[in-house]
Amino acid sequence: MMNIKNFSKRLMKIATAASVLLLAGGILAGCGSTGLSNSSGSSSKVEKKAPKDLKIGVSISTLTNPAFVNLKNVISDYAKKHGSKVIIDDANNDTSKQNNDVEDLITQKVDALIINPCDSSAISTVVKKANDAKIPVICVDRSADSGKVVSTVASDNIAGGKKAANWLIEKLGENAKIAEIQGIPGASATRERGKGFDSIGDKKLNIVTKQTAQFDRAKALTVTENILQAHSDIKGIFAQNDEEAVGAARAVKAANKKITIIGFDGTLASLNLIQKGQITATVGQQWNKIGQESVQKVYDHYQNKKVPKNDKVAVKIITKNNVASFKKQVYNK
Amino acid sequence: MQIEMKGIEKSFGTNKVLRGVDFDVHSGEVHALMGENGAGKSTLMNILTGLLKKDAGTIKVDNHDTTYASALDAEHHGISFIHQEMNNFAEMSVVDNMFLNKEIKTKLGLVDQKKMRKEARQYLVNLGSDIDVDSKMGDLTVGQQQMVEIAKSLMINAKIIIMDEPTAALTENETAILFKTIRELRSNSVGFIYISHRMEELWQICDRVTVMRDGLSVNTYQTKDVAENQIVHDMVGRDIGDYYPGRHPHLGEVALKAEHLSGKKFHDISFEVHEGEILGFSGLMGAGRTETMRALFGIDKLSSGKIYVAGKETKLTSPSVSIKKGIGFLTEDRKNEGLITEQSLEDNIALPSIDTFRKHGIIDKKAEDKFADMLIKRLTVKANNAQVTAGSLSGGNQQKVVLAKWVGSGSKILILDEPTRGVDVGAKKEIYELMNQLTDRHVAIIMISSDLPEVLSMSDRIEVLYEGKQMGVINAQGATQEQVMKLATGGK
Amino acid sequence: MDKAKTTKKKFDFTKYMALVALIILVIIITVLNPQFIAPNNLLNLLRQASVNALIAFGMTFVILTSGIDLSVGSILAFTGAISASLILGGTPAWLAALIGLAIGALLGALNGVFITWGKVTPFIATLATMTIWRGATYVFTGGNPITGGKMNTSFFFQFVGQGYLFGIPFPVIITLIAFIICYVLLHKTAFGRKTFALGGNEKAAFVAGVKTKKLLIIIYTISGLFAALAGFILTSRLGSAQPDAGMSYEMDAIASTVIGGASLMGGKGRMAGTLVGALLIASLSNGMNLLGINSFYQQIVKGVVILIAVMIDSQTQKNRE
Repeated sequence: MMNIKNFSKRLMKIATAASVLLLAGGILAGCGSTGLSNSSGSSSKVEKKAPKDLKIGVSISTLTNPAFVNLKNVISDYAKKHGSKVIIDDANNDTSKQNNDVEDLITQKVDALIINPCDSSAISTVVKKANDAKIPVICVDRSADSGKVVSTVASDNIAGGKKAANWLIEKLGENAKIAEIQGIPGASATRERGKGFDSIGDKKLNIVTKQTAQFDRAKALTVTENILQAHSDIKGIFAQNDEEAVGAARAVKAANKKITIIGFDGTLASLNLIQKGQITATVGQQWNKIGQESVQKVYDHYQNKKVPKNDKVAVKIITKNNVASFKKQVYNK
Repeated sequence: MQIEMKGIEKSFGTNKVLRGVDFDVHSGEVHALMGENGAGKSTLMNILTGLLKKDAGTIKVDNHDTTYASALDAEHHGISFIHQEMNNFAEMSVVDNMFLNKEIKTKLGLVDQKKMRKEARQYLVNLGSDIDVDSKMGDLTVGQQQMVEIAKSLMINAKIIIMDEPTAALTENETAILFKTIRELRSNSVGFIYISHRMEELWQICDRVTVMRDGLSVNTYQTKDVAENQIVHDMVGRDIGDYYPGRHPHLGEVALKAEHLSGKKFHDISFEVHEGEILGFSGLMGAGRTETMRALFGIDKLSSGKIYVAGKETKLTSPSVSIKKGIGFLTEDRKNEGLITEQSLEDNIALPSIDTFRKHGIIDKKAEDKFADMLIKRLTVKANNAQVTAGSLSGGNQQKVVLAKWVGSGSKILILDEPTRGVDVGAKKEIYELMNQLTDRHVAIIMISSDLPEVLSMSDRIEVLYEGKQMGVINAQGATQEQVMKLATGGK
Repeated sequence: MDKAKTTKKKFDFTKYMALVALIILVIIITVLNPQFIAPNNLLNLLRQASVNALIAFGMTFVILTSGIDLSVGSILAFTGAISASLILGGTPAWLAALIGLAIGALLGALNGVFITWGKVTPFIATLATMTIWRGATYVFTGGNPITGGKMNTSFFFQFVGQGYLFGIPFPVIITLIAFIICYVLLHKTAFGRKTFALGGNEKAAFVAGVKTKKLLIIIYTISGLFAALAGFILTSRLGSAQPDAGMSYEMDAIASTVIGGASLMGGKGRMAGTLVGALLIASLSNGMNLLGINSFYQQIVKGVVILIAVMIDSQTQKNRE
């Protein structure tokens, strides 16, 4: 009986010792510094490195959205083709998980970070950490509010929004009654696409309602059903992403209506529906270009080439007429 | 049908629970199985009905070696076990309970409610019961639920029915009905194995009795040939003399006085209890005794009335207030209200007084250890140390732990609700002695008890309630069971 | 024979289950990727664990009473947004933090009131408030993150989530202090004893003089308070109050508590176990990140670990009986 008691006591001691060790490690690592930053200083000169010597850390905002899954594939294919190593993390749309992921990538001493931020403001703190660790950062699709970023590669969302508005006017005429289905409130894509679209649409179109469907297909389905109840006479719908456009198309089809739908992104699902005629058009982002450009920026950086701070990749309106060639270009299908 | 069990042995791990038990029963008799908690009665019955496997020994049914694979198997062969805690579904109707898993179906495979209802009613009528088969099981009294269980046994054509403490929660009236039913079934050649702690029932209903102790069958008697003393001797293994140590009270001031207490299920109750006195509360189940005390202690609401503690009017709005005023309450439902069974004896004992162990906000563990050890010793709780869980103790020792808790919190007034229910004969006596020690130290005790000999022997005065009303107070000295019973049943 | 039984009880192996699992996990990950044990990564890991650990500390009290608090994530977001907007509006950061904490405590207390006086089961009550405060956060922020302005210039605000003291991330220090306070509160005070009693058997605790309603309200207040503390730290770490911050954080907190040996039936649990549980969950995600395991698989692994932990726990429980 005594033995077991002693043993249990000893186990407790081991546990305590283990935790103390863990802590002691921390103190050693910190080198006694107190303040906001664990290390500091930066240099502008970059040591040249070939693509095959590079380890690239990639943090994607979510892999439940087909557009970002495609982006991920493009990035990893392009990097692997050039012999680089890639580590990919998925943030599950959780800002704080993304920060943890990027911290872990920094720990793994990656040579460069390609970040597709969940949120422009929340990503800033880890971008600064990467700066401290002298790891170059490329932002994709969304920017970082602060911290030093080598380059931001993104579709021109504002221009895309404007293009969508103009296309609807061309198709339906001025003052046509339309509905706008918005994305996640506060997300940069929501803000920029909305800003571009509204800058023209508010004046030249009759936008009867603006409602959010959180960039979600199922929510867009319900939202559209409700819109069709309240405004049975609308002629067009602008959905701020393709998932929403797909949801809207389902609702319109179920209600047996003829409504012009334009989405945004150019995902495979929506391209297929364009071919079937259930979605009229989408603002196609050239994910292949975005993905390849973001990796290329890393290579350029390590060749000491000049890298533009902002790379706005053009978007184009995809309709039945050009859908096949766009699909081939972006998805190789 | 004749069942003969010989040399039954059973171990759980290293713990030998049955060490060679002989027991037999046949149709048309009521055979009582007596013994303290832990003597092995339930294990023996579980082996008979296929819930457990025996390690050694033989079971012969009508002279054939038999082992039932499961309780269901035993039922198919006419042996039915009515457990003390009945396994019924309170939210379902009586008929649905009776036909659970044996539903009668129409040709379409749907449940034939009409036919089931008719059959269920017939079985109950045969038992002389008028229970509405459509009422919810949970709305029935315990006695009625027991009737339903017996009806279920008859449905499966039981030849032997095992009953585990069937009268523990029954009123006098319900017990009488149950006994009548048992006698009728006995004359229709149904056999009973009757497990009970109530000594007097042996001579009311049983033909034979087998006494078990420590995993052995000690003796089997014809009940008409044996005296109570002999049974008690067999159960505890020694003569324990008179159960009751007797009372020699020295009364002090009035410790607690209640005036015109009314509430749910009781009306206009007034009484007083002195320092050093045991005031008994007698009455039938549902007479309002427990309800009165719960409201007094602040567990339930008191709708009107005044309470004086040590001469001063006091509002006892919650147990925490009552405890501060020096009152303790040993509740009737030990498992649900008396103990935290998964926590240690020490945690249980210290709980009502835990605030007094604070030293700069932190608990003085050493003082607490000492306190618990001292009380465990003083109340002769049989446990290895204060750290074992309360649930691991026997009923009697659990009761002592609850007492220790209240003694430790410095109670001047103790309310004991059925203090010896589910307690072994040996521990019973110790609890009575503890009560005497406490009153010698000027503690006032209010004791609710349904055990008439206990009330008569351990009280100084007896208040009798009937249907929520106060029937009168009797001086315990020289009082008889008949006197109390008369008041308790509403007679004057 | 009796003696053997009691000795077994004294040496309660379940107490060390989670710790053994953590040690094994640390060894496995380290073997696969030695980077894991690097001091810098360990500090990262501790910082990553801190938000969940803080919430889990509060959750431990709640779960001990056989309750549950689903509203922690929403309280975290709501109070974080309020503190952030106060700072933007010119309130000193320390005062904004205190106001956030006070509101968190208040919302927690409100949960307690619904549960005790309103007689709503904890699951339903906090499910409702979870939805209410999430909605309130969206209304308050208009769906936009609150960021920039004085939040970038306030040293105090930046320091809480991103600072270092003696080389240790400040959130880790806050978590350690919080742990010590919670440990003492739960295991060394009358308050803690009453919490255990309430969880073990509410009726018996009430009869023994525990003011059960008051106690429950205090416990939910603590849970709200810790959610708000975690909220302020998270806001500072991100430099931004996100309207959708803290979503499903209640699940990680519950998981940490349960892995640490607490029973959802109440009456059983230890603060140190919860800390180990939180470290285990953080090590899992950090370690799998380092090993380059896809996040989809990470979720599966996390779920499996929770299942195994609880199954081993209930199995040892059964054996004891």
